[in-house]
Formats: sequence, structure tokens, C-alpha cells
Amino acid sequence: GTDATTQGLKQPSKESLSNGPFVQSEILLPGASGAPLERTITLANATTVELSCKLDTNSPLKNPQVTWKKGNETISHTSKTENSWSIQLEIVDSSKLGSYSCILKGEEEISATFHLQVPDVEGRGRHVITYERDTAVMLCKSDSAPMAWTWYMISGSKQIAINASSKGDKYLIVRQSAGVTQLRILKLTKEDAGVYFCQATFELGKVKLEVELKVLSIMAPLKPFLAVVAEVLILLTTIVLYEVYSKRKEKRTGEKAFDQIEQL
Amino acid sequence: PPASAGRAPVPPDGGWGWMVVFGAFVSIGFAYAFPKGLAIFFKEIQDFFGTSYSEVAWISSIMLATTYGAGPISSILVNRYGSRPVVMFGGLLCGVGMISAAFCTSILQLYICVGFITGFGLALNLQPSVIIIGKYFLKRRPIANGLAMAGSPVMLCTLAPLNQFLFDNFGWRGSFLILGAILLNCCVAGALFRPIGAATASVKPQVTEEGKDALKEKISEDAMEMNSPTNVPMENKTEEEEEEEGKDCCEKVNQYLDLSLFKHRGFLIYLVGNVLMFLGFFAPIVFLAPYAKHTGIDEYSAAFLLSILAIVDMVARPATGIIANSKWVRPRIQYFFSFSIAFNGTCHLLCPLASSYTGLVVYSSFYGLAFGMVCAMLFETLMDLVGAARFTSAVGLVTIAECCTILLGPPIGGKLIDTFGDYKYMFIKCGAVMVLAGTFLFIMNYYNYRMLAKEEKERKTKEEDLKSVRTENEGRNNWNKDTTQVGSELEPLREEQGVKKEMNGT
Repeated sequence: GTDATTQGLKQPSKESLSNGPFVQSEILLPGASGAPLERTITLANATTVELSCKLDTNSPLKNPQVTWKKGNETISHTSKTENSWSIQLEIVDSSKLGSYSCILKGEEEISATFHLQVPDVEGRGRHVITYERDTAVMLCKSDSAPMAWTWYMISGSKQIAINASSKGDKYLIVRQSAGVTQLRILKLTKEDAGVYFCQATFELGKVKLEVELKVLSIMAPLKPFLAVVAEVLILLTTIVLYEVYSKRKEKRTGEKAFDQIEQL
Repeated sequence: PPASAGRAPVPPDGGWGWMVVFGAFVSIGFAYAFPKGLAIFFKEIQDFFGTSYSEVAWISSIMLATTYGAGPISSILVNRYGSRPVVMFGGLLCGVGMISAAFCTSILQLYICVGFITGFGLALNLQPSVIIIGKYFLKRRPIANGLAMAGSPVMLCTLAPLNQFLFDNFGWRGSFLILGAILLNCCVAGALFRPIGAATASVKPQVTEEGKDALKEKISEDAMEMNSPTNVPMENKTEEEEEEEGKDCCEKVNQYLDLSLFKHRGFLIYLVGNVLMFLGFFAPIVFLAPYAKHTGIDEYSAAFLLSILAIVDMVARPATGIIANSKWVRPRIQYFFSFSIAFNGTCHLLCPLASSYTGLVVYSSFYGLAFGMVCAMLFETLMDLVGAARFTSAVGLVTIAECCTILLGPPIGGKLIDTFGDYKYMFIKCGAVMVLAGTFLFIMNYYNYRMLAKEEKERKTKEEDLKSVRTENEGRNNWNKDTTQVGSELEPLREEQGVKKEMNGT
């Protein structure tokens, strides 16, 4: 999962391309037993990132050989301090994102991985169920504010962007806050049903999330509704009839007893 | 416990009574579980109407407040019409409320339809169900109460997945429509509440024939028959005398809602103890899942804790009913009740010590057990203190008093959590409040039991002297006992007889 990376004012040890945001993350090796030697860092904008792997002084590994790799590619510009090895990366576009690992080779080999990703987009659920002539509300949100949100509808194999300004009485796109977007579809019809997705545009890439919209007619819930009402009425009549029957039985036995007493 | 005099109609303690218990099970289950089950829909409603979460949470609060606050109205209606029509009307109201909620177009309309109308309908379900158990059971009443109250966790366990299923298939509007129909089943439960007892049976026809005066007399007679010896007889005699001077509004209210209960020692003890207890009763349930997530447990395991609680609760309630009915516990049931409250409090006090998931599982099980024990005996102890006849009014007055603390409990807990950033202060506060309430009830009930025993002894000696007076009058003067002693005890008796003569004269 994501960790709390420190955003520090620390000056990078090398030249940086921009005075923009700076993120620093460190993994301690070999770490607590069972602790995953992985970390996910979410980046929304172009950032300077410093990743370090620090060797625990209690570790049996001494003076290991350290290589930094992204996939199969080795990274050359590494720096070393007493017990930690780090690299500094300028993440300016989506190609720079990915998984970076430090590999410490000595008597044993241990490694740690940093996953650099764009932020996640979450929604309320996979389906949204609405009714004809009602309003549909679909929501997408992200922890980091994207530069833009766009909504699309998938019709057949085509993706149609939803233009709220041109069809103002049908679609409404509300940006509730920087990280939340809402698509409202008014006056629903059956044709509006289908798959929609929201797309968050970040400096470092785009993320999308699909939501399926189902439009039901009023008949759909009406059937179970009437079934339950019928069940209620049946039970009520049964109870009333049983009560009338047992009262009559009581009366009859009462009369019988009376007759018997009279006979005596 | 107050003895029922020989003339009172004997509760059947079985037979159709078990059908009544089933009806009460359904009715009470809906009343307690339904507001909790609605939480599943809130996120969707919040998005749909574009409001904040707290505005949507108001729906639950309004519903809860109405269900408890309308208690006295429910009691008045039951006193007037009996349990059955009130529950059926309540069921209808719930159904209508939820059905109209399906067509709402604003959050305010939801407050009214779901909050007020359905809440009021549930209030009309809750009280009468509890009341009618008192009419059908005496010897087996704790078991009946325990079984009926078990409806709450069972319904909650059924409603939670059902609501999720409805929501996934029909959205919130369709779900509200279907839930409205499901709530109509409360009418079915109400139909099972056949009126019973010479009290109601003989009163009804006379209301139509002779009018209100006869009704008053019957009520006072039955109250004297079925009930605690101390307060009621004198009360009703003074009422009859004042009738001469003309009724005013208070008198009329008193006829339907017995406000003289505020002079009843047992009732006051119960009221104070319970109002205090409810300050810490519900908050831990509300915050259990968030606390679990706070300690790093994932969402599903946190939800599982609540399921454990509900399952243990389900079993604990009838089991407590059976234990409370045993001959060792029944006479001392108030002590058992105080003990379960204090036990509940101790669980909360020990909760901060549970740091791992296993610890929390253990806590949830014990909490479920304690919660079930308290709930099973909640109304049984009140019935035990005031008797079945006055219970109708008592339960209404108690619920409206509890209303405030029930609503305050979770927000105060939330405030504590927000201020200190730590859940343990909330648990400590809840635990402390409940241990205090339990101890208070224990001590005061000890005092109450002693006073009741003393009064019982006085009453017995009075009865013996009345008998001895009769034999004296019949068998002339071969009586060599302490005439002074007999005489001094005869004085208050003669006064009573004098007042009785006056009453019969009017």
C-alpha cells in the first residue's frame, strides 16, 4: 500500500531540474520480519524523487554491492552515504513511472522495490441503479487533484466524450472539489443505460474508472413490492379467519357445557 | 415484586401467548433494527441530493428520536384502545412512510417520510409489543421477554444483507419501496395481539353502554386488583373525590397516562438508573468498527466483529430470559439486571487493553453477551417494579426520558474521540457511566427490596388484624389479646373503611 512519504525541504545532493516538489522515501533493509520490502509512491505532478535503501547496522551483510534497476535497466547515477544508497529521479512524464529496485549483493542478496504510480481514482461502486425520468449521479474521486476530469460514454465500440455545455439540460458535470467530480444525467431514458467512465488527467498520465449505469422502469421493484403486499394480506386474512373460527368453537363448547349443566 | 391479588385475571403463560411472543419478536425486531439497517443507503442518498454526510445522518437521528420520544403517545393510545389496533396502525404508518420516501425529491422530504412518519410508526410498534407480553405472561414472563427482545439482533442480521441485496438490485428508491411493503408485516404481527384479560374484555362493552364514569371505576378497580399495594388505592380514591369538583386537563391525561408513577419509588429508581446507563450504552457499538479500522484491521474483519456481537446477542437474550425465570434469580431479578449493567461497563473499561484482533474478538463476544443480557431484562425489570397494569404508562414515560441520553451518547463519544484523538477515552467514559449506573441500581434496589418487604409485612399484619376484628365482632368478647395493640392498628383501618363508605355514597 501507499506509505507516508516525507515531503521535505531538504536540498537534493545533486542538481535538480526544477525547484518543484520533492519527494523522499527510504526503505530499511532487511527490515522487520514479515514487513514487505516494497513501497508505493503516488505522484500527480512532475516531481523530483529521491529513493534510498538503508542497511540496518545489525544486519549480517557488510559492504554489499548495490545496484539500482528499473526493470532490466540499470541506473548509473547513484549516490552513497555511510549506510544508505540512493538515486534521484526526475519524474517528468509517464515513461519515468514504474518500479525501481535496489539490490544489495553480499553473502546474501536482498532487494527492495519502490513503485511509482499515478494516483488512484475511486468511485462509489461498479453499478449505479436509477429509474426512468429520475436523475443519475455518478461519482469519481481521487486523493490528489487532477488537472482535469472528463466523462465518456461507451456506446458500441466508440467512446463519446460527454459535453455538458452543449447539452446543459441533460448532462451536468459538477466539480465538487478539486479531487471529486460528479456526472449528473437528468431525465433518464432507457437509452442512457450503459457503461460510462471518468478520466482523470494528471501531469504524469491518465487514469480511468468505469461505472455501469442501469436504468430500470418502475415495474422492476413493483413486482416484489406487490408480492410482499400479497403475502401480508394473505397472512392477515388467515389470522382473522382463525380467530373467528376459534371464537366460534369456544362458543359451541361453552353452549355444550351449558346444556350438560342444564341436563343435570 | 408486587403480588397480584386473587381477583386479577390470571395470565395464560402459554398457548396463544407464544404466538404473541412471535408477533412481538417481529415488531420489536423492526423497531430496533430498521434504523440501523438504513445506514447502507446513506452514501448513495448523500451523493444524490448533494448534501453532507451529517445531514444524511440526521435521518437516523430523527427516526430514533421519534421512536423513543413518541413513547408517551404510544402509551396513551394503548391505554385507550389496546395493543392490537395501535400496532396495526403503526405498521401501516411505517409502510406508508417508506413508500412515500421512495418518491422523495429532497432531503427534507426524507426527514419527514423516513424520520418522522416511519419513526412514529415504529414507536407505535415498540411499546405495545412490550406491553402485551406483560398481559399474556406472568410466571414465564422473563422467558417471553427474552425471546421477544431477541428479535432485534435477528432482524438486524437479516436486514443488513437484505438491504445490501435490495440496494444492489434496485437502487435506493426501489429498496425503500420494497422495504415499505416489508414493514407492512408489522400489521401481521399486530394482528396476532389478541386482546386479553378481564380488564380489557369487561371494559370495552361498558364504555359504549355506561360511558366514561364506569370506565374510570373499572380502571381504578383493576388497578387496585392487579397491582402494587402502596400507592394506587389511595390515589384513585382521591381522584374519585375530586371528580366532584370537575375534571381539568391534567386529570384527563392522568387517566390515560399514569403520571402518579413519578411518586413510585421503584419507577424512579429504574428511571434514574436507566437514563444514566443509556449515556454509555450505544456509543461503543457505533464506534466499534471505526475503532477496529483505526487499529489497522481491514474493513471486512471489522464488520465481522459486529456480526460476532449480533450472534452472541441473539443467543444471550433468550438464555438470559431462561436464567432470569429460574426460581433463584426471579425474586432478585433487579440485582441480576444491575450486575449485567456493571458487567457491560467493565467490558468497556477493559477494551483499551485489547490491542490485537483476537483481543477485539473476545471483547466483541463479551460485549454481545452483556448487551443481550441488559436488553433482555430491560422491560422485564420495569414490569417487575410497577406491575403489568401500570407498565403501559411506565414504558412511555421511561422511553421519552431515555430519548435524550440515547441521542446524546454517541455524539459525546464522538466528541471525546475527536478531542483526544484516541478511542480509549470514549470506552473509559462509557464503561465508567455504566458501572456507576449498575452500582446505583444495585444499592437502590437493595433499599427498595427491604422497603417492599417491610410494607408487605405491615400489610400482612393489617390483614390478620382485620380478620381478628371480624372474629371478634362475630364471636363476642372471648378475646384476651393485647387490645391496645389491636386497637391502635385498627385506627387507620377504620379511617380507610370510612373513606370507602364515602366513595360508595357518591
